[in-house]
Amino acid sequence: MPKVVSVHSYRGGTGKSNFTANLATTIAQHGNRVGVVDTDVPSPGIHNIFGLDPENMHKTLNNYLWGESQIEEAAYDVSANVGLSGDSKLFLVPSSVRADDIARVLKDGYDVRLLNDGFRKLVKNLQLDYLFIDTHPGLSKETFLSIAISHVLILILRPDKQDYQGTAVTVDVARQLKVRKLLLAVNKVHSKLNVDALKQKIEESYDAPVAGIFPLSEDLVQLASEGVFCLRYPDHPISQEFRKVAQRIME
Amino acid sequence: MVDTGDLQFLANSIQSVTSPFRSYLNDLYDKYESLNEGAVADYTPELALAKPEYFGICVVTVDGQVFEVGDCDKLFTIQSISKAFVYGLALEDWGREYVNTKVSVEPTREAFNSIVLDEKTNRPYNPIVNAGAIATTDLIKGDGATERLTRILNMFSRYTGRKHDINVPVFLSQKATGNRNRAIAYLMLNFGIVSDRIEETLDLYFQQSSIIANARDLAMMAATLANGGINPVTKERAIDERYVQDVISVMLTCGMYHHSSEWMYRVGMPAQSGVGGGITAVVPGNLGIGTFSPPLDAKGNSVRGIKVCEDLSKDFGLHLFNVAKPTHVLKDLIEGGDSVDRW
Repeated sequence: MPKVVSVHSYRGGTGKSNFTANLATTIAQHGNRVGVVDTDVPSPGIHNIFGLDPENMHKTLNNYLWGESQIEEAAYDVSANVGLSGDSKLFLVPSSVRADDIARVLKDGYDVRLLNDGFRKLVKNLQLDYLFIDTHPGLSKETFLSIAISHVLILILRPDKQDYQGTAVTVDVARQLKVRKLLLAVNKVHSKLNVDALKQKIEESYDAPVAGIFPLSEDLVQLASEGVFCLRYPDHPISQEFRKVAQRIME
Repeated sequence: MVDTGDLQFLANSIQSVTSPFRSYLNDLYDKYESLNEGAVADYTPELALAKPEYFGICVVTVDGQVFEVGDCDKLFTIQSISKAFVYGLALEDWGREYVNTKVSVEPTREAFNSIVLDEKTNRPYNPIVNAGAIATTDLIKGDGATERLTRILNMFSRYTGRKHDINVPVFLSQKATGNRNRAIAYLMLNFGIVSDRIEETLDLYFQQSSIIANARDLAMMAATLANGGINPVTKERAIDERYVQDVISVMLTCGMYHHSSEWMYRVGMPAQSGVGGGITAVVPGNLGIGTFSPPLDAKGNSVRGIKVCEDLSKDFGLHLFNVAKPTHVLKDLIEGGDSVDRW
């Protein structure tokens, strides 16, 4: 049975897209067919990590939402770009980076039902084992939708007061939408913090498990979103942490 | 921290989007979208303009949940679909006994536009054939043509929850080509079935079939009947609850023209079809279905609409006399939280 995984954070800059890209790739490495949809229509970016040049995006999620194309036409096989081979497949449905396209979505909105139908068609027609939904920070229609249809919701937060508060709001909403499985991931944890104590405190506050704790990493910053970290540096502790999170999703 | 009222509302609306029943309707749409049988009605030049690819399916439950796929906003003229509803208004105006003296409720094997009356009583056979519909239209009370039309339009607004108008070119086109209906009306005047305001009544008859609606309206009208005459969304009463059964009964026996008996056997949902491509189908106490797809079969019913209703009836056991366990339990599918588990 295909699984839908949403990755969300209340605030921007938590490393959501990098997290999504690395986790999706790690799961694809197990011989899975994985799709990633960039629903961050106002500020798309994940295509950079997957090495998809906007010049080669003939159709995007925007075209689908405007009824101009089928969703499959906006799905790009990026397996080779990131270095996956064999049964491991990775598809990306990007959002348009054209200012005009972004403005059009913001101005006219779109029918959230189409998004739901598109996700479903994508899973069916590309025979996906996993569908990852990368969302825009904060709460919006697509956040609500992706939470409601997800088997697993991953909330990313930094050890920061603003993030703690925002995450509490999102957890409330997720429970209202009867979320099936909620996992937390803490990112950009600086080296002086006691990781075990942090994990315990967060799990107690939100009554949800912490699936992974990721250090603030210069190595990751150096890659500057050009390529998937866990494929470039498979033995790095960060890559090992991603494998731990991937296991929790695949179990 | 969060306002639970609004949050609950938003959560509910998202759940109706992700409901597995919507996915089911999407599959049904995909299944029949490529069905290219039948022909668009060409009784009048205006009708022949409808695009054959238009296709919409809408289901409204008696709890007021609305599920729709495809062209549910596309407007078309309701044609015969008005007949059963106007019959309901005539019943409210005059009561069952009097109306029965003017129109019978017998299905007929004659064509819907035949110039035939019951030989013994001189009554038209039923309120759905043209003769019967002209007779019920004659019964609509009101001071003059405008007030009578307004009463009919207001009735449809109570059923659908939005304002309705007529398509003037369609009305004029039907009026210009309506000599056969004019003949029927004069024959009935001869037998004292209709009053002598023939032109006004005929105009009203052509106007009611030119009322503009969409698939969602048809589903809402059927859901209102299914809900005992109260619109499940606006909670407004559209028809006296005593006459709901009369309207549904004539739909069941006559609503699908010559296909009615087979429809009863195969689908078992009281329904009314119009040559504009609409079908409205009632599952009493449960839901209303509205479909729109202009290509018609030889009996004048929407080809895709029939298929959709057949599938819905079969898959959810919606046939009036079904006692067997259906493939899907509708309630489970509508409320099913595990929507993606069926992807």
